[in-house]
Amino acid sequence: MRRLLQRLKNHSRPAYFSLWFLLVFYFVSFFADILAPYHFDQQFRNKPYHPPTKIHFFDSGGNFHIRPFVYNTVIDDPVFKTYKQDYSKIYPLKFFVSGKERRIFFFFKTKRYLFGVDQPAGIFLFGTDNYGRDIFSRLLYGGRISLSISLIGVFISFSLGMITGGIAGYFGGIIDQILMRLVEILMVFPSFYLMLSLRAMFPLNLSSIQVYLLIVMILSLIGWAGLARIIRGMVLSIKEEDYVLAARSLGLPHWKILLFHIFPNTFSYSITAITISVPGYIIGEAALSLLGLGIQEPYPSWGNILSSTIGNLRVLGDAPWLLLAGIFIFVVLINFNLLGDALRNVLDPKNW
Amino acid sequence: MKKLVLKRLLQLIPMLIGMSFVSFIIIQSSPGDYFAQMKMNPEISPETIESMKVNFGLDRPILVQYLLWLKNMCKLDFGVSFAYHIPVRTLIKFRLKNTICLAIFSLVISWVIALPLAVFAGYREGTFIDKIFSMLAYLSISLPSFFVALLFVYFISKTNLLPLGGTRSIFEVDASSFALFKDYMEHLLVPGLVLCLVNVGGLFRLMKNNFIETFNTPYVLAAWARGVPRNSVIFKHALRNALNPMFTILGMEIGGILNGAALTEIICGWPGMGSLILEAVLSHDLYLVMGSLVISGFLLIVGNLIGDILIAFFDPRIRIS
Amino acid sequence: MCLTQKTGEMEQILEVKNLSVLRVEKTESISILNDINFMVKKGEMFCLVGESGSGKTTLALSIIKLLPKSFKIASGEILINGKNILEINEQSMRNIRGKDISIIFQDPSAYLDPLFTIGSHLQESYHGKNENKKELISLALQEVGLDSEVQTVYPHQLSGGQQQRVMIAMALINKPSIIIADEPTTALDVLTTRQVIDLLNAIRLKHNPAIFFITHDLELAMKTGTRIGIMYRGHIVEIFKPGREKPSHPYANILLGTIEGKDTILELNFKKNTMDSKQMQQKCPFFDMCVEKEARCKKTIPFVWCDSETGIRCLKNGRNTQV
Repeated sequence: MRRLLQRLKNHSRPAYFSLWFLLVFYFVSFFADILAPYHFDQQFRNKPYHPPTKIHFFDSGGNFHIRPFVYNTVIDDPVFKTYKQDYSKIYPLKFFVSGKERRIFFFFKTKRYLFGVDQPAGIFLFGTDNYGRDIFSRLLYGGRISLSISLIGVFISFSLGMITGGIAGYFGGIIDQILMRLVEILMVFPSFYLMLSLRAMFPLNLSSIQVYLLIVMILSLIGWAGLARIIRGMVLSIKEEDYVLAARSLGLPHWKILLFHIFPNTFSYSITAITISVPGYIIGEAALSLLGLGIQEPYPSWGNILSSTIGNLRVLGDAPWLLLAGIFIFVVLINFNLLGDALRNVLDPKNW
Repeated sequence: MKKLVLKRLLQLIPMLIGMSFVSFIIIQSSPGDYFAQMKMNPEISPETIESMKVNFGLDRPILVQYLLWLKNMCKLDFGVSFAYHIPVRTLIKFRLKNTICLAIFSLVISWVIALPLAVFAGYREGTFIDKIFSMLAYLSISLPSFFVALLFVYFISKTNLLPLGGTRSIFEVDASSFALFKDYMEHLLVPGLVLCLVNVGGLFRLMKNNFIETFNTPYVLAAWARGVPRNSVIFKHALRNALNPMFTILGMEIGGILNGAALTEIICGWPGMGSLILEAVLSHDLYLVMGSLVISGFLLIVGNLIGDILIAFFDPRIRIS
Repeated sequence: MCLTQKTGEMEQILEVKNLSVLRVEKTESISILNDINFMVKKGEMFCLVGESGSGKTTLALSIIKLLPKSFKIASGEILINGKNILEINEQSMRNIRGKDISIIFQDPSAYLDPLFTIGSHLQESYHGKNENKKELISLALQEVGLDSEVQTVYPHQLSGGQQQRVMIAMALINKPSIIIADEPTTALDVLTTRQVIDLLNAIRLKHNPAIFFITHDLELAMKTGTRIGIMYRGHIVEIFKPGREKPSHPYANILLGTIEGKDTILELNFKKNTMDSKQMQQKCPFFDMCVEKEARCKKTIPFVWCDSETGIRCLKNGRNTQV
């Protein structure tokens, strides 16, 4: 593993950076409860579509403050949602502030968050949405949902693809025929249409946990077919290798041969395949939530943060910072693509 | 050649049957009675519902139902939309035309941009300009179509450069066909460009890799060694051979274009298949969902078929075997 | 230089002097060809023999100036009909390729563009005027023993032997003064090999081009070549005339031993050569394996011409002292 990292570093600095960037991103989303200044559904009813809060070092008198601070804002024009700053009082930025108890993934409790300001002022790094909810906090929490869906989805479809592809390639014959026809039929549909149709099989209003599971299921159901086909191809060639023939002549049971002699040899492909298929799942989740078929309010995901901008030019014009969710998706995707590309080159035996 | 095409066409049949069966199963397993919604609708008489039930054989075993459904499908009868109360076929016909126009438009534009740039960058592999292009290609493949669409919509709404939403803004009866065409194209431009922007990077990368690969093949070396002029080597030998795998891509890309097109259509307000299936899902209009699904699968199959035929046409190794 | 001029400039078609080629990698450059000296005369069949990886193909590609990007010619001269091709630009080189010098490759199926007919390959190869193009193409095909109808056919429809004949026809069509044949028979079976060799010889006798025949098969070279160059790890270690004299370089002797069925080869220690390219330049490349090595072999050994046609790169050699 360490050698792999070293090779990756030598091969491509940007990709190595991408790897760390993604790890940090996952870390940040995982600890959103600590890092986000507000809970995802905490509303500031008097501050809808608030632009990103200005952080000051100099007060209105021109005095320098070592601790950055913000001013409270009041709505100036309720129609066009413009705000003006109230210079009478400064609200310094505080670290490790305490507030309402939050639970990190149901287990750990925390009362302290990384930073915040006293009420009634607010620190909205990326502005707020129509309910006056902090977009920055929602993006962090949303990342938790979007990124975890993609990881679980990849894991499930990969297991499915491994098992089907492995069985089809190893046993061949009629099993292979049946499984591969099934895979081909699934691949006949454009994934977006299949995704929506599968979603149509279920009622529109489900609880958030149900929707979460449903999205994971749908995405993995769509994703496994392509993986299964490629893994079958690999298993077909690996099973003719001498060491597999040797294992067979020793009379090892099939599952042992598959598990210990064939699958480990698809490892380098698997790592690459996982890396390059994650973006598809992120996009899939975002698309569903964007269209109102995925994660439902008040829970945030990168897709549904964007969804209020669709078909509503007014919102887009008033609060373009909502598009930051798209930038988050884009940044994660480009890093996955960079990393996947570099991994493919590094793990390709031809390039050793 | 004819034999090859015929063979491919025959191979399609099990594919189509499988595809329709999967569609049927998906819709069958949807919750609720098909007609629950219809019964609530006072505009539809119970007799109509009864006749539809018989028409679709809903009282018979599932396989019979499927065969009946397949029979209707062959007659391009996808049933009646719950939400619009008109045959699904009529709805799809209008939307399909728009989606195909959008797909072809963006395909043509992105190929026209990507291929020459890819050959250029491939020929100058490793130079500064190649690196710039490759970086731009990375941006393109990492941009989600819906995000680009939103950015475009935001930009257009600020500048009012082009019309947004729908397919036409001229509704006069006596408008000339040119004016209508121009109007249509103007509406097509925004979703078309969005799709193009999202696709061009992937195409560029594929084509560049193909070109570099063929440029290093022995037969290109042999062409140089025979003293063949440079343009001949690049455009005749390297380019033609590099294009061959692209025909397969063309077929597969139809699927990708349909996916990207769907979201783009919805965001840009282009009335195509993508927005149709979304509306259908949102209003739980099952026959419409099913019809859209079958047609989208059919489009992909046709795309692959076209790709295969093109390859067979251009590659003598497949044409004459 | 003096020696070669004495024998008359007319006959020299290809002359390579002090050629060194490097492969440039990220951190270092590796020496592939080292101080190569030889010439090929009109109408002769010069055979270059060496094991795989000894740099034969690199040499062939250097002569037509088509080395891959990572290769660099470090020093030396390559003269074709008296013109140093390393000093001319790419455009003029394109006029020389195919016209003055043509090349036949190892695996004909890989070197023919699968998407074009044999006819279009041949037309493309022809550099002369258009008037008698058609006749010349049929003539070239006839000469290699193929029908004119073969023109409408695609490469994959031909057998390996036929494909190689097409390659030869393409090489012939402009009546070049030298044909490089880079292991043209390696991918073919025994019978076809025989036919291709006979064909090449017949062409040589008829049109009198020089043939620079690259092979790893010393036996074949001994039978067909007028002169033989032995290559070892990027060096030409000896050039000799088969039949007239026996080679004297220890490596050449070992090679010859394989044909004559000597038992000594079994006892040879074929250990991995541990020398890097710098060491190779500083001492005899064969040093580690040589049975007759001495202390003085540890310094650079130059290539020395014995007479106008033969030469050797070894200190322990009787012929060396003649010069």
